[in-house]
Amino acid sequence: MKIFHKTKRIAIFSFLVLFSLGATADIHAQDAAALVDASYDYMRGKTSVSTVVMTIHRPDWERVMTIKGWTQGMEDSIFWITDPPRDKGNGTLKKGREMWTYNPKVNRIIKIPPSMMSQAWMGSDFSNNDLSKAESLIVDYTHTIIGTETHEGKKVYVIKSMPKPEAPVVWGMQKLKIREDYIFLEQGFYDEDLKPVKIMTTLQLRMLGGRLFPGVWKMQKADVENEYTVLEYQDLAFDTKLPDRLFTLSSLKTPIR
Amino acid sequence: MSIDVKMAWRNLWRNPRRSILTIAAIAFASLLLVFMLSWQFGSYETMIDSSVRIHTGHLQVQAEGYQDKKSMRLVVSDPAAVGNVLDKNPEVAAYTYRANAFSLVSSKERTYGVIVVGIDPDREAKVSTLKKLIRQGSYLSENETDQALVGELLARNLQIGVGDELVVLGQGRDGSIAATVVTVRGIYRSGMDEFDRSSIQIPLAYFQDVYNMRGAVHEVVVLGKSLKYVPEIKKTVAADIKGIKNKEALVDLDWMELMPGLIEAIKMDLYSGFIFYIILIIVVAFSILNTFLMTIFERTKEFGVLMAIGTTPGRLCKLLMIESTIMTIAGIIAGIILGSLVTWYFQVHGIFISGTSELMRQFGLPERIYPQLSLLSASIGPAAVLVITFLTALYPALKVWRFRPVEAMAGK
Repeated sequence: MKIFHKTKRIAIFSFLVLFSLGATADIHAQDAAALVDASYDYMRGKTSVSTVVMTIHRPDWERVMTIKGWTQGMEDSIFWITDPPRDKGNGTLKKGREMWTYNPKVNRIIKIPPSMMSQAWMGSDFSNNDLSKAESLIVDYTHTIIGTETHEGKKVYVIKSMPKPEAPVVWGMQKLKIREDYIFLEQGFYDEDLKPVKIMTTLQLRMLGGRLFPGVWKMQKADVENEYTVLEYQDLAFDTKLPDRLFTLSSLKTPIR
Repeated sequence: MSIDVKMAWRNLWRNPRRSILTIAAIAFASLLLVFMLSWQFGSYETMIDSSVRIHTGHLQVQAEGYQDKKSMRLVVSDPAAVGNVLDKNPEVAAYTYRANAFSLVSSKERTYGVIVVGIDPDREAKVSTLKKLIRQGSYLSENETDQALVGELLARNLQIGVGDELVVLGQGRDGSIAATVVTVRGIYRSGMDEFDRSSIQIPLAYFQDVYNMRGAVHEVVVLGKSLKYVPEIKKTVAADIKGIKNKEALVDLDWMELMPGLIEAIKMDLYSGFIFYIILIIVVAFSILNTFLMTIFERTKEFGVLMAIGTTPGRLCKLLMIESTIMTIAGIIAGIILGSLVTWYFQVHGIFISGTSELMRQFGLPERIYPQLSLLSASIGPAAVLVITFLTALYPALKVWRFRPVEAMAGK
């Protein structure tokens, strides 16, 4: 796989650079990794239950869907479309790095094959990978703080995340902006040539599920204006007790309302 | 017959073996060139024809941008209007409508991402060879709904046979989720691996229903009466479809635009062919050069005598050129006749090739190829031989100018 090879080289290179920078960089790397970890914990909680309105915007066309979702840690999540009526009941289950999709019209579950993981999820700018490999950022990357900014009076860390050697990832680099209170502000995805591919930004911080949380998540393609997908939180609750059988194939077929 | 020609003719028969060998070399080169060029032209026509008949057609009418983006929303919203335009065109042999959607197709065991193609069974059979390619089961008939044709390689990958169910999951024209279960009706093999691995065909009307197409299609596929009418059809159709209202402007693309890879493959083959021809012609040129030089060395004394009794070098030069021209023309005529006969034989019977190369198979080249003898393929090679031999013969003939009668008679 050419891509892996290239990313590997880049990763090794960045690794060497990190090494040569010595102890200070090492501490920064640890700081950065801890920051990303903490931010993930803050943003996802132990469990979460949410209702999100997803808007897929194209220059000549727009589509709005309502999605209800449950997550548990970083491994498990399940969501169903609740609106529009034509698509109601379509569900996606994610366990670890595997994904299944369910369609009520044909009453079948399909496992998403590995070759399809980089395809768009439900036609949006989010790929199946963005959903299924959310934890990849923590497992597969090394993080370095490369700068700071301020946002609403708070300090924001700019973090460069390079894939580890041999990590099964498609990106050549990611760039994160995390606020000192662990709020995730931006995630940029770059290809092997380190050119931006798409950028996710979070907007409208407000109290959601008992904590300060971005109400709007926007995924924007880097090379085209006016093509983006927006997720707008309607409801969000953290750390509620979820039944164990929620994240199973049989529950995917029988949506919880 | 002038005295020069008479002398040249007699000179040729002074050493009949050498003359005949030279003529044979020229004839053989011409024969080979006639046959090889006819073969190449023939295989290109077969290649284009079979690729066109398997899938793309000679021309397609699409919404602008569809060819690159393959986006569901770039549709021909009124296919019947395009059909009316095509009905009026006398050079159009047949046309059909197609709609495509990238979807997940899943059997009990496996899931693959493929192109689901909506086809009009009756029209499709007139445009493409799909109906004849069915190896198991049967072709789609009119008014069928949830039936599908599957490529052999895809069927093997999905581990399914005729009568099995496939779940299809994709996105409709409006972005909604399109899902259906279809039964495998037939399995086809085109020989083009890419095609046999990556698509399934379902009835167009059913496709339009499942994918919420509201009567629209993505491609109007046109087959002309023959390849040579394509530029003309393209021109008239391009003008005629301007009047049809569509959200994105309609464009008509010919097979070269639809399959840029095919024309590249042909060009590559043609170039490698040319290198071979140039080598062949150079070899022939050297053998002719050799013969003529030998003649001059052997006949130095004779030329000395001729010059001593008053023959001008110009006349000797002319004599030598007549000799070489007689041999060349005899060789070329023999070559063209024999080459045409050989080519004609294979044009009738075809040539069987067991291991067609990978590149060719991609474009569905059949195992039997028929060379295509034409005025061009029969004349272009021999013409090149004629020019080259003429130029080669000039060199020894011009050497005569440097002869001095006394020295030449002494054989120096």
